[in-house]
Amino acid sequence: MSLYMSPKYKEQVLDRKRWFEWDYKWFWGSFAWVLHRLSGWALVFYLLLHIWVIHHLSRGPAAFDQVMQAVGTPLFKVLEIGLWGVIVYHAFNGMRVIIVDFWHGSKYQKQLFFIVLFLFVVLWVGGGIIMALHMIH
Amino acid sequence: MSFKSSGNSGAFAWFYQRITGIFLFVILLLHFTIMHFTGTGEITYENIVGRLSDPYWKMLDLSFVVFALYHGLNGIWMAIQDYVRSEGWRAVIYTILVLVGVFLFFLAAVTLIPFGLK
Ligand code: HEM
Repeated sequence: MSLYMSPKYKEQVLDRKRWFEWDYKWFWGSFAWVLHRLSGWALVFYLLLHIWVIHHLSRGPAAFDQVMQAVGTPLFKVLEIGLWGVIVYHAFNGMRVIIVDFWHGSKYQKQLFFIVLFLFVVLWVGGGIIMALHMIH
Repeated sequence: MSFKSSGNSGAFAWFYQRITGIFLFVILLLHFTIMHFTGTGEITYENIVGRLSDPYWKMLDLSFVVFALYHGLNGIWMAIQDYVRSEGWRAVIYTILVLVGVFLFFLAAVTLIPFGLK
């Protein structure tokens, strides 16, 4: 692709600070984006593990029970509450990205992010309490 | 400004990342709710196999797997393109991502499809 790059474009886009550099200047949008990227990667690794665990169904009830017992310890139950938080964040922020891209949402991207954060806290805490109660009973 | 498409601009990946995202939003939240909140889906062999014997659940779960694998691995690929410049490394990583996707789809398909058909 041969696009003319103005010095200004080069300075603002190509040579800009990256989020992992120490003097990067954070703003709400970059915060939302980094969390989205990290949560996306975490979900992929979870999905790989999840398919592996569930595929034990095809080896019959005994094999399935055994693997479910291994991932049924309190440690995994607590991690599952964490997983729920990662899912809620990625899901709602993902919808925010889609609204921003397709429906002129960029005007409200910051307000939309606060809505995402609000829903994230409410749903994570609410769901987490239900999961913790299941764990106790 | 006028562009000529290179045929490899990433627009396809960008677009389908959003389409699959909308699908996953509905199905993933439903999946988690059924499995963890409503108490309708205690995770036992009998329960799951019972559901999987229903062709509609089976098709739903299969498309869920396909969409999630595509969205997740395509998302990783989009991020890799931000950080990895070398063509050689990109080719290596792309190949690994495709192989992982095909392998896990295979694993999921041989698990999901047979129930209720035997
Ligand atoms: C619950 C519904 C979901 C929605 C609405 C959603 C939405 C999105 C959107 C819109 C993007 C593009 C972000 C961008 O271009 O800046 C994205 C990226 C991504 N998603 Fe999802 N997603 C969902 C579920 C998942 C799941 C289940 C996984 C894992 C299997 C996943 C993994 C990823 C990854 C790895 C990326 C790339 C992150 C990046 O490049 O910054 N997502 N998601």
